Formats: sequence, structure tokens, C-alpha cells
Amino acid sequence: MKFDWNTMGIFFALMGAILATFMGGIGSAIGVSMTGRAAAGVVTEDPSKFGKVLILQLLPGTQGIYGLLIGFVTLTQIGVMGGSSDISLVKGLLYLAACLPMAIVGWVSALQQAKAAVSSISLVAKKPDQFGKAMIFPAMVETYAVFALLISILAIFGLAGLPV
Amino acid sequence: MAVLEMKRIQLCALKNERKKILEFLQRRGAVEIHAAEEPEALFSKTDTASARQAFEKNAQTAEEAVAVLDKLVPPEKGLPKVLAGRTPIRLSDYEETAKNAVKLAKTASQILALDKKISDDQAEIIRLNTQLDALVPWMNLDVSMRTLGTRSTSVFIGSFPEALTKEELGTRLAGALPEVSSIEIEILSTQPQQTCVFLVCYGKYGMQVENALRAMGFTYPPTPVRLPPCERAEEIKKQIEALRSEIEEAKKEIGSYRELREQLLFTSDYYTMRADKYRVLGELWQSPRVFFISGYIPAEDCAALEQALETQYRAFVEIETPGEDEEIPVKLKNGFFSSAVEGVVEGYSLPGKHEVDPSFIMSFFYYILFGMMLSDAAYGILMVLGCGLVLWKFKNIEQGLKKTMTMFLFCGISTTFWGVLFGGYFGDAPAVIAKTFFHSDFTVPPLWFAPLDEPMRLLMFSFLLGVIHLFTGLGVQFYQLAKRGKIADAIYDVIFWYFLVGGLLMLLVSTDMFRDMAGLTFTLPPIVGALSAVFAGIGAVGIVLTAGRESKNPGKRFLKGLYGLYGVSSYLSDILSYSRLLALGLATGVIATVFNQLGSMLGGGVVGAIFFTLVFIIGHVLNLAINLLGAYVHTNRLQYVEFFGKFYEGNGRKFTPFTANTKHFKITEEK
Repeated sequence: MKFDWNTMGIFFALMGAILATFMGGIGSAIGVSMTGRAAAGVVTEDPSKFGKVLILQLLPGTQGIYGLLIGFVTLTQIGVMGGSSDISLVKGLLYLAACLPMAIVGWVSALQQAKAAVSSISLVAKKPDQFGKAMIFPAMVETYAVFALLISILAIFGLAGLPV
Repeated sequence: MAVLEMKRIQLCALKNERKKILEFLQRRGAVEIHAAEEPEALFSKTDTASARQAFEKNAQTAEEAVAVLDKLVPPEKGLPKVLAGRTPIRLSDYEETAKNAVKLAKTASQILALDKKISDDQAEIIRLNTQLDALVPWMNLDVSMRTLGTRSTSVFIGSFPEALTKEELGTRLAGALPEVSSIEIEILSTQPQQTCVFLVCYGKYGMQVENALRAMGFTYPPTPVRLPPCERAEEIKKQIEALRSEIEEAKKEIGSYRELREQLLFTSDYYTMRADKYRVLGELWQSPRVFFISGYIPAEDCAALEQALETQYRAFVEIETPGEDEEIPVKLKNGFFSSAVEGVVEGYSLPGKHEVDPSFIMSFFYYILFGMMLSDAAYGILMVLGCGLVLWKFKNIEQGLKKTMTMFLFCGISTTFWGVLFGGYFGDAPAVIAKTFFHSDFTVPPLWFAPLDEPMRLLMFSFLLGVIHLFTGLGVQFYQLAKRGKIADAIYDVIFWYFLVGGLLMLLVSTDMFRDMAGLTFTLPPIVGALSAVFAGIGAVGIVLTAGRESKNPGKRFLKGLYGLYGVSSYLSDILSYSRLLALGLATGVIATVFNQLGSMLGGGVVGAIFFTLVFIIGHVLNLAINLLGAYVHTNRLQYVEFFGKFYEGNGRKFTPFTANTKHFKITEEK
């Protein structure tokens, strides 16, 4: 069988799904590990703060979930989870592009959010009553992951109807 | 929806009733003691620091004693402390038990002393065991290790740092000292790194032999014992035995105090309370016969407290309205529905001067936004059941936890509501189960629409909700300004923004481009667009003219006005921020769907059903946990950043009354 570029649509589409899951997951894994180490340090000193630092630890974990979400939505849309998987090259590339916001922003924002969360953990260690504020600082970073998720989702759903 | 009105209370009474009055105030827990600034020269403060420290130490001792008891005799596993709450105790019981406090404090020290004895003895046993181990290579020696010889012989007891046999040693010695004959060698023990030996030779060769031995690496034992090693070992074993029985006895004695556990906890509480009381006592102004208390009290508690004080004790009470410039503590009071979110408000900051309590307005939005982010009926029902059960079963739980539980109860109700609207029941579980196990096309249709099918529609709805939320925040700002009589500021800072943002939004909605994008079906008459443009224009001009009104210089004022107009970009980002309602709502549904699909991979049948159940339980517990966290964090964010940003600064100081800060018991007034 001769290699034909036009059959590669599904490959690129799948690549998008995988990248979103991949990079969001990596970012979150590194982020949660950073915050986890900081949180464990706080719990050594004062075990009663476990509940609070656990919440802060989990904050950079959401990008991985968003990545999974985009990956899954893409898989269902391109027919890998059943149905027809007849994707043109252009459409495949479009799916790849649609997944990129989540992949890249998810990765970077998870790492950056982890840094903010580590600082918030040390804030809670010193002033446990300021937990409400400590939670907001990392949550501000997450806004951009949410925006990326939104654009990726809208693009993926929008692509389904495109006649290319 | 209220910040409680605070009054300043001044109390003056005779010193001989000081103890009773302070205890009464502590039980009531209604007054925050706040010492007056400048007393008259007659009054002075007493230094109570040392007494307070003694009491704190007693409380600490009692706590430690209970910890020792618990280590030895683990208490029955009851309810977790957070759920069970503090045990109520009647005032008469309290006073009865308080008489024993001094005795109990002594018992607590006794328990700690016993515990210290146990740990000392255990350390001693370890030390003796080490000694015993060191003796093992010498056990074959039947004379004292310190033996140096007799009148005509020299004895060498020691070791070589290598494994040697008797023959090897004999050969080496013969080689090194050919002139010395008849050295008696006895190998006591051989190990890879050590050979212990006993050597005897004629006394006249002593020096020569010793030098030769040293050259071969011979060393004397580091700690030679006087007795023959086996006898010494017996002695040590006896000592260890004695220590063991001592430990057993100490443990038994500690065990005999087990009955006192409750009373020791009580002692800890008693001394904590006394320490608190002495802290307050140290802040009071006192003359030789009279003492003087001043502080803050919520207006609603005034009458009852005043009456109780003046009838039960000989005290003079004066209630007055605090001055404008005083830093008055803040206490919130709300109904059942809104008081639940007071903790969230407190997490940001309590209302400062001239600010309203945002709890009431916030509570509606809090529940709505939270529900939209989680938006799964089954998860909502689980939350309602869980929180409801805790609230119903454990009536005694602490206030803070009770409020949090109530908040999540309402959030659960809202989650259920949105779940039904959007058709989420464990994601798409009903459809998956029906298809996998019953081969039917049964689905539970959403009451409104499915977000996954029409994400644009939900996005528009999220923005709409956001605009309502933000405008409500602005409205509160208007109310706050108007209440202080700053009508002009209210118009400049709120009404113009309503005009500008509202006008721009309506203008946007009336364009065809936006209607296509958002998939809106209705069309607005052109006049609406024109009117919106006019309103936006009025707003914009108004803001440019007034935003810089604090500057006198007209040029500067104009520039500041322009900068004020630039604030419209923050409204754009604020509104966009509400897109998280869609994103998080979709996340819950999609992850639930992923788990349902995973579970149904093995198809129907018994194996499939077991696999499905496992994946279902693990997956949904995980999903619920993650998304609960997400919904909680992001609802707080929308409240703190977007909503509070429009009107709320906080900086209020929390009302912390003088009360019984006990850990284990709650003293209730007799009825």
C-alpha cells in the first residue's frame, strides 16, 4: 500500500487528543508533586492543617482533568470510541490545532499554579486563618486554564459541523 | 443580613464579687473585654502573668496525662471528636468537679512521673542489654577480666582484630619471641573480626610478651568487669528483670487511674478557663475595693445581661453607644439559610466600617453557582444525604462545622436542581446501564438542555448569570454609598457603570454577528441598539467626567477620567471569568461519562456487571471528590474576586467574647 497523506487525518486528530491529555497530565503531575512536598512539610509540623493543605495541594491537579476532558471529547468526536472515523487531512489538522490551547496552557499553567500554591501552603502554615485568601491566589492562575479549556471545547464542537 | 449593632458596656462592682462576676461573664460569653485607655490615678492593673502560666501548665499536664493513659489503655473508639462535639456538663456538676481540680492536677503529675520512670527504665534496659552483648565473647573466661597475673605469672586477657586459631597464634608468638618458652594460650572466642584470648606466661617474660603482643595488634578489653563475665551477665540479667517488673508495676499503676480519664480532661478544661479568666483579670483596672470592666456587647444581649448582673450581683452596669472613631468588633447574624456562608465571608474578611454584611445576597449566588459547576443530580442527592445525616445525627457538633455542613447541604440541593435541568445523573449512567445490561435505548432527558450538545447556549447563560451577579454587587455598592448619604458618589460610581456596561452589552446583543455566534433566535428592534448606544455614551462621558473628581487640576482630572473609563476592560474579564461555570459543569459530566464508558467495556452479563460496579464506585467517588473541590474553590473565587471586587473591602475585626474556650466540655447554664 502506498503512503497517502490524505489518510493521515485521523492520525493528527488523535495526536491532538493525546497531546492535550499528555501535557495537561504532565503539568499537573509535576505541579501536584511540588505542592505535595510542601504540604507534607507543613503536616510534619502541625498535622491538624492536613485538610487545608490538601485542598491547596490539589489545586494544580485540575489541568490534568481538563486535558483528559479535551482528549475524551476529541476521541468521541473523531470516532475513535466507535462510529465512523473518516477524517480528512485538513480536519485532522484542525482537531490538532483545537487541542493545542488546552495542551500548552494546561501544561504551563499547572506548573505556575503549583508555584503559587506552594507559597499559599506556606501562608497557611504561618496563618491558618487566612485560608480563604490563600486559596484564591492559585485559583487566579487557573482562570487561564479554564479559558483554554473553553476555547478548545468550543473549537472541537464547532469543527464537527465544518464541511471540510 | 446584618452586622449586629454593638454597644459599649461599663461595669463597676465590688472586689469581693470579682470572681463570681468574671465567672458569670465567662459562662455567658457575650462580652468582649476591652480595657479602657486612660483610667483615673486611683486604679491600677494587677500582674497575673505568673498565676496564668501556672494554670496553663496545669492544663498542659492534664492533657499529657490523658495522652499517657490513652497510649497505655486505648480509649473505646467512639465518634470522631469533630462530630461528637464537646460533652455538655451542668453548672452544678462543674462546680462539684472543680473542687477536685487541685487533687486531679497532682494525679496528672503523678501519671507523668510514672510515664517518665517507664521511659527511663526502658532506656536503662537498652543500656544493660548493650553491656550484655559486649560480654558475650568473654563468656568462656572463668576469672575476672581484670586479672593481671599471680606472683610468678603474667596474665594477658584481650583480643586481636582478626580471626586466629590457637596454632596460628602459637606459631606467631614463637616466631616473635624465640627465647620465651611455655606461653599458655587459651582462645576464648573467635569471630571474623575479633579473637578473644587468655594468655599466661612466666612473670619475668611479662614485658617482652606484652610488647610482642602489642606489635601483633593485641588490645585489652575496653570495659573490663571485675567479676568473671558469666557471673556479671547473671547480675545484669537480674537487673533487667527488676527493671521490667518495675515497668509493669508503673503501667499497672497508670492503668489504675483509667477511671479518672474524664475527670483529667475536665481538669484541663478547668485550668484553661482559669488561665483565661486570669488573663482578663490582668487587663482590668482595679482600686483597693472596686474593679472596673469595660468592653463590647451585641445590643441584643444588653438587656438580659444588665438585668442578670444587677439582680444577682451588686454591680453597676452602664450601656452606651460606642463612638464613631472606635474600632468596633464585628459579629454577623443571619438566618439559617444565609448564616451557612458566614464562614466564606469570614474567610475573605469581615465587613469593615460602613459596609453591609454580604452573607444574605451572597448565599443565593453561592448556592446557584456551586450547583451549576457540579450540576449532577445524583451527586447533589449524595451531598444532601451526607450533610443531612451529619446534621441530623450529631446535634452537638461545633458551630463552625455545622455551618459548613449546612452550606454544603444547600449546595447539594442546588446541584440536584441543575443536574435535573441538564440531565446529569452520575453523568450518563442511566443511558449506559440501560444500553449495556438491558439493551434498551432508555435515557433520562434533560429538563432544559444537555450542555454537551449545546455548549454555546450554556456559555451565554453563564455570562448572563455573571452579569446579574456583577450588577447585584454594584447595586450593593449603591446601597452602601446611599446609606452614608453619598448620593452623588453612588451615581458616579454605580449608575454610570450600569449605563456603560449595560448599554455596551445590549449593543452587542443587537448586532447580527453576535446573534449568529451565540445562536440567539430572537431579534431586537433597531431602536434598542440605538438606545443602548446612547446609554453607553452617557455612561462613558459620565465616567470620564467624574472618575477623576478627587483631583483639582482639570488636565489631571480628565486623564484620570480616561483611566477610569479603561476600567471597562475589567468588566470584560470579569464577565468572561464566568465561563468557568460552563467549563467545570462540562468537566463533571464528561469525566463521569468516561468512567461509565470504562465500566461498560466488558459488556453485559455477571462479569460485566461486577466490573461495572467496581469502576462505577471508584470512578464516581473520585469524580465527586475532584469536582467538589473544583466547585468549592471556583465558587469562592467568583464571590471573592468578581463579586466582592465591586463593593466589598472587609477589614473588620472579629468579635471575640470572653468565654469558656474549653476543649472537652461545654458548661450549660441551669434552667
